[in-house]
Amino acid sequence: MNRFREFYNDNKGRFFWYLLCRSGDYDLAADTMQESFARYLERYAQRELSVSLLFTIGRNLLNDNSRKRRIIIPYDENKHKGRSDEESAYMEREESRRVMNAIQQLAPDEADLLSLVVSSGLSYHQIAELTGTSEGNIKVRIHRCRQKLKKILHTGET
Amino acid sequence: MKDYLISMFIDNELDLDEKIDFVQTVHNEQAFKNEAIDLLEQEKLLHAEIVHTTPLTSIPVETEPTKRVFLPWLRPAVLFSAGIALGIALLLIQLRSIPSPTPITVASTEIPYRFVIYRPEAKQAAIIGTFTRWQTVAMKPIGNSGYWSLTLTLPEGEYQYSYLVEEGKQITDPTVSERVQDDFGGENSLITIKV
Repeated sequence: MNRFREFYNDNKGRFFWYLLCRSGDYDLAADTMQESFARYLERYAQRELSVSLLFTIGRNLLNDNSRKRRIIIPYDENKHKGRSDEESAYMEREESRRVMNAIQQLAPDEADLLSLVVSSGLSYHQIAELTGTSEGNIKVRIHRCRQKLKKILHTGET
Repeated sequence: MKDYLISMFIDNELDLDEKIDFVQTVHNEQAFKNEAIDLLEQEKLLHAEIVHTTPLTSIPVETEPTKRVFLPWLRPAVLFSAGIALGIALLLIQLRSIPSPTPITVASTEIPYRFVIYRPEAKQAAIIGTFTRWQTVAMKPIGNSGYWSLTLTLPEGEYQYSYLVEEGKQITDPTVSERVQDDFGGENSLITIKV
């Protein structure tokens, strides 16, 4: 169990960030993270622990997301000003939220790819295997995603 | 067309020759250099700390694979015996004309919703809201993490609620921006649950 717990602790942060970037929904990302680790433990725990496999499980779960409940509450900066330390922390993370929102404006496959590269720590080669495309294709596409994201962040346009 | 070298540089995927090529290009072309710096700045934003917003999750307990009890040569005998027993049981059921139980299924339109608040200094935490008829319902601490949580099964609808974290101190949910005034000069958080 310690082996899997270490795997969980080592990967939960970046894995959650990936799921959050992909889905744009905190609750959905949290549910998917829990389900992914549970599935991993249930089906693959006897195998060598693999970050690539974990991200594959998470991607697949998001892809056939049949979640019925979605509570989307827009973030209103003015309502949060000066309420408490927790809300101040939220303000500080607003920049991250802005980037995450920009990622949501990319095409789903682009958001997926960029989130994978940023968060997974996998090599281009591993991501190519995971997404079923060539390494060269990944290199070019990820750069285009970054340029597109830059445009969104600077101008708000896609 | 080698500007994808910037991304490869960001991800440290270049070999030494490519790195030399990249550095020379960056030094020689202002536009290329600006693009690289812009994307590196953007990458800093992408890697901004967000780990502390990672939710707490529980992972199931890993169990040892079930050990085989029967020796291989015993398996056919065991299966044969089980088959005979099953046949006798089915025969008895038919003779007695016992109606098979009809499973009762109820279409549920309620879904679980988890309330979580971070109050490491609190000795106790509770929730009150329209779903509790404004009765206090205690929340449970999640280990020593400072988090308190409570999962309630709620039907679709709009709900007002607040947390009680200390004696008489009522606070709104800091993670929910929607608020409504109550009749006592205070505020409640507002959530909408859709099935």
